[in-house]
Order: sequence, then C-alpha cells, then structure tokens
Amino acid sequence: MLSFRLFFIGLLISAVIGAGAYVMKLQRDNVILKENAVKLESAISEQKQVIENQKKDFAEILEANKKINELVNNLKKDLDDLDKRFSKKDRDIGKLAIERTGAIERVINKGSDNATRCIEIASGSPLTEEEKNATKKSEINPECPSIANPAYIPY
Amino acid sequence: MLIPLIFLTNCSGVKQLSIFKEEVKRQELNLEKPTPLQLEQIKWIIITSENADEVFKKMEEQGLDPVLFGLTDNDYQLIAKNFAQIRNQLKITNDILDKYKEYYEPKEKNND
Repeated sequence: MLSFRLFFIGLLISAVIGAGAYVMKLQRDNVILKENAVKLESAISEQKQVIENQKKDFAEILEANKKINELVNNLKKDLDDLDKRFSKKDRDIGKLAIERTGAIERVINKGSDNATRCIEIASGSPLTEEEKNATKKSEINPECPSIANPAYIPY
Repeated sequence: MLIPLIFLTNCSGVKQLSIFKEEVKRQELNLEKPTPLQLEQIKWIIITSENADEVFKKMEEQGLDPVLFGLTDNDYQLIAKNFAQIRNQLKITNDILDKYKEYYEPKEKNND
C-alpha cells in the first residue's frame, strides 16, 4: 500500500514537473515564433524593395537599349547619306574631279576635316557651342549630324 | 515517465529562423575614360592627267617631295565609307561603355 502511494506521488510530481517544463518550452517557443514573425515581416518588406529595385533596373535597361538602338539607326542614316552623296543622280565623283578639279578638291578637303571632327566627337571629344546650337544645314557637320549637332532636325 | 516528457519537450521545439543578409559592395572599377582623340588634318590633292605637272611643280615650290600616294575615285569613296563605319563603331562602343557605367556606377551611389 505504501509503495503504491509512493509510486502515485512520484507519478504526480513527474507530471507536475513535466507540465511545468512543457509550459516553459511553450513560452520559449512563443518568443522564438514572435521573433520569427518580425524577421519574416522585415524580409517581406525587403523583398518588396528588391522587386521595386528590379523594376527600376528593367526600366533603365529598356531605356538604355532604346537609346543605343536610336544611335545605331541615326549613325546608319549618316552612312546612307554619305553613300547617297557619292552616287546622287548618277553622280560620278571621278568625272567631276576632272571637270572641276579645284572645286572638288576644296569639297573633299572640307569633307575630310568634317569627318576628322566626327571621329574626335565619337571618341568622346565634347561638342563646341557652335556644334551644339547648329540648326541650319549651313551650320551643321554634314558628315555626322546625328552626333555632332543634337539640335539639328533634318528638313 | 520523465524520459518521454523530456523527449516531448525538447525534441519537437520551434527552430529559430535565420535570415542571412550579406551585401558586400563590389569595388568600383573607376577606369579613366580614354582621352578624346585630337586628329591631325590631312590635305587631299586631286591629280588628273591634265594637272599632274602643275601639282608636282607646286609641291616642289612648297618644299614637299614630289610624290603622292594615290587612290582611284572609287577607292576614295570606299575609304570615306570605311572611316564612317569606324567612326560609328567608336561612337557606339563609347556610348555602350557610358551606359554600363551609368547602370553599374550611378552618380547617387558614387556620392554615398
């Protein structure tokens, strides 16, 4: 009978200790869960920021691609214009040079100077005020108006 | 009785969440852009069968060697187009470089 009582008391004490330990564990878990919730909220907010930044990056990439494509098209147009100048209305620059040697020499030298300036601009040389403000055909660099004369609109 | 309780309370615990944030900013390359070219002006001389003597005479008068490196009219057109293509490529490459720099090293970041 005594051993039965002792066993019962032992069982009771074990149950109380176990319950206490379990409650303490639950409390610790609760603290951790609260911390986790805060971290998750912060992570979500950071992820939103990351997504916003990515959207901004995509917009920048699109804009950069657009600008480069525009530049490529404008430069291609400059090249086509040069081709047209040589072959406009069945123009034969060789015959013209024989007929009007001095005049063609001046034209070619002027064109060469303009083309040289175009290469300088393409390599990063800053535009002069004259180049920036040129709006008339007589003011522009006809070899590369797309890069030398940003204010010029072909007419 | 205690042993199962210990197992129950300690083995099925909630694990603490760890979020690693490691942002190591890459050092900026900051290479200087190449100095823009400053090219020499060249002078083209048109020489025909009719003006050849006059051209060479003038060159001698100016103290130049009476020799010319020639191109036909067709080759002149080709060299002009070749230079235009080189110029275009230079411009595109330069602009792409600028865009990369703007994208990866924007000014507001540089000011941080």
